[in-house]
Amino acid sequence: MRINCSNRTSLKGRSMKAAILIQRWYRRYVAHLEMRRRYTWNIFQSIEYAGEQDQLQLSSFFSFMLDNVTQMNGNGPDLISHLLDSVVDPLTEEVRQLKYEQIVVSESYSGPRLSFPLSVTDTNALLSAFKEEQTLHGKYVLQLLYETKKFLKQMPNVIYLSTSYAKEITICGDLHGSLDDLLLIFYKNGLPSAENPYIFNGDFVDRGKKSTEIIIILFAFLLLYPDHMHLNRGNHEDHIMNLRYGFTKEVMQKYKTHGREILQLLQDVFSLLPLATVIDNKVLIVHGGISDKTDLDFLSTVERHKVVPFLDSFVSLEPPEPPREELEWQQVVDILWSDPKNQNGCSLNSFRGGGCYFGPDVTQALLQKHDLCLLIRSHECKQEGYELCHNGQVITIFSASNYYEEGSNRGAYIKLGPELVPRFFQYQVSRSTRKLTLHQRVRVAEGSALRALKEKLYAQRSELMAAFQQYDIDNTGRISTSEWAQVVESVLRLDLPWRTLRPRLARLSADGNVEYGSCFEDISPGEPIPPVTPNLAETLYRYRTDLEIIFNIIDKDHSGQISIEEFRQTWKLFTSHLGVAVNDQTIDDMARSIDFNKDGSIDFNEFLEAFRVVHKLDVKEQQQG
Amino acid sequence: MAPKKKEEPKPAPAPKPPEPEPPKEPEFNPAEVKDAFQLFDRTPTNEMKITYAQCGDLIRALGQNPTNAEVMHVLGKPKAEEMQVKMLDFEQFLPIHQHICKAKDRGTFEDFVEGLRVFDKEGNGTVMGAELRHVLATLGEKMKEDEVEQLMAGQEDANGCINYEAFVKHIMAG
Repeated sequence: MRINCSNRTSLKGRSMKAAILIQRWYRRYVAHLEMRRRYTWNIFQSIEYAGEQDQLQLSSFFSFMLDNVTQMNGNGPDLISHLLDSVVDPLTEEVRQLKYEQIVVSESYSGPRLSFPLSVTDTNALLSAFKEEQTLHGKYVLQLLYETKKFLKQMPNVIYLSTSYAKEITICGDLHGSLDDLLLIFYKNGLPSAENPYIFNGDFVDRGKKSTEIIIILFAFLLLYPDHMHLNRGNHEDHIMNLRYGFTKEVMQKYKTHGREILQLLQDVFSLLPLATVIDNKVLIVHGGISDKTDLDFLSTVERHKVVPFLDSFVSLEPPEPPREELEWQQVVDILWSDPKNQNGCSLNSFRGGGCYFGPDVTQALLQKHDLCLLIRSHECKQEGYELCHNGQVITIFSASNYYEEGSNRGAYIKLGPELVPRFFQYQVSRSTRKLTLHQRVRVAEGSALRALKEKLYAQRSELMAAFQQYDIDNTGRISTSEWAQVVESVLRLDLPWRTLRPRLARLSADGNVEYGSCFEDISPGEPIPPVTPNLAETLYRYRTDLEIIFNIIDKDHSGQISIEEFRQTWKLFTSHLGVAVNDQTIDDMARSIDFNKDGSIDFNEFLEAFRVVHKLDVKEQQQG
Repeated sequence: MAPKKKEEPKPAPAPKPPEPEPPKEPEFNPAEVKDAFQLFDRTPTNEMKITYAQCGDLIRALGQNPTNAEVMHVLGKPKAEEMQVKMLDFEQFLPIHQHICKAKDRGTFEDFVEGLRVFDKEGNGTVMGAELRHVLATLGEKMKEDEVEQLMAGQEDANGCINYEAFVKHIMAG
């Protein structure tokens, strides 16, 4: 293309200008994307911690129930025995073992058949089977759990390891049911063996869909290599947590015949998991953290299988607990639930509902007391899979990648050799074969976070509207952005950048104020059956998870059904505890109409399913195909 | 319990899940700036400080689009090695942000399209992806290869051409 000189310079000048303009815009685009990524992360994290705070609320409801059940003259659901019933084992050990051996596995079962004591053939068979999405037969699960329980009984609370023979130990954090991450770790780092020892630092189950497969694999390796495979207990290795966060459901779905017995055995196994591991007398590994009361020597003497971290906090049927048991419980909860914080001191972890926030001074004191140099813990999701704090004296290691959403974070593991200098290895599981661009990934994660946030807003709609209206004296439907942000922050109690999020949640009117009603527009309730008043629907929606847990506890044989009377009494107690006025007639009507086949029992899963919400925009998208 | 609202025409429903709103007039609301500032604060003790290097990003995240030169200028032309080390707290950041907000010549959608039209050799609404890459990497405030890649990901058609109006909408929406 021939251009004469003057044209060429002006062309060059224009090109330069154009380039600069594009580059400017690009940088702005990237910065904005980064901001969206960050607040998405904040949203996920806040909601997760708020969920765990709800757990605290649940325990206060249990206390309330226990206080009030006597007033019901024994007409209430037999919740006390339900809650406190530790697994009563009428069978002796030998009889149990025989019983499992006698379970017949049909010819048509094509999965792995384990033989005890386990060998490498068995673990390889398990890994292959799970990669092919097969399920291990209930018989072998029971046998595996039984053997694991026997094995764990003779383990101490605190396990002392050494890195002699120049061995490197691999330390993994939370897996939360993500089999893909476990398989990825084994692929990158090799299977556990005498030359390749592993420590898994708790929270193997819940949230992810393959918790059963994970514990089967971990326990199998534990039995195969007892000296080179070590598992610490996490706060999710607890049957109440499992009720809330999905593991119980997963087991019951995969094991219709043997599920109940498997869950009972699991309760025992979890309570027998060791609490801490120490490497070379220098590195302490626990799931959550520590408190200013933590003492490893005391911890070694605790009868760990008797400590029920969740329930014991409010059970007070007997005369006041002996002080020692109280302290034991406290120490164990601290180990499983605490989080590090940046300020000095040790304060109660109200967010989680258990354990402490421990500062750098607490870490320093503990390390000094026991002549240690490093604390490795998990329990918190980190964007890069790991994070250091307290001047490098505390490492958080988290091994479930994409924990909140596809692309949200990496997973990581640590390798530690005799020189005790940690090396970090990161990874991220990717489900899609088509590589998503950064923009697409952020968009997906952000969409998911915002949807969850909107549900939170919806769940507290009445409270929010009442608070908005206090600022809206003239009833215009609008308040300023500051007022809107203030209300939302105080009602939801989530520490988020509300002003930055506002454009994604609520509409502005022409005069620059926020139309506060618009933040509920995207969500509509599903069709609740039976039909109830909007207030009741909102209450049911908000406490759906809690109710599910309570019903599951009442439903001892995990049949999915409870009696009408139990339903009625529970519901009555719950609403009176919440201070929600619901008259008897409404409850009776509701109970009667849910009992579809009029046989006196209620399928509570169906009932709760009715109280979910629909995101209008999702529906629209689906309709547009 | 719906509040009494004046009948106001609702904005047309977005065809997709709500896009981020297009850049508005600069707002001097310090509370809003503070929210974003906190998001970028990476100090381990939440001291409400950001590095000089983050300053440009934060200004851009807040809706402005200065050039790198403009950012460096308003920061007092720091040396390269200072960028990751020197910190700004919120009080120091506010006036810097306000200064950038006041600057004229922000560049509109039309300016942007004009700019790209320069490279539209055939005048048919498309530019050659390869040429654009070259320009962005060699002219002006040069972009690195991976930055260019990220920008252009998924934008080129089978012939390596980019429909630039769509491209501009894509950039401005982000």
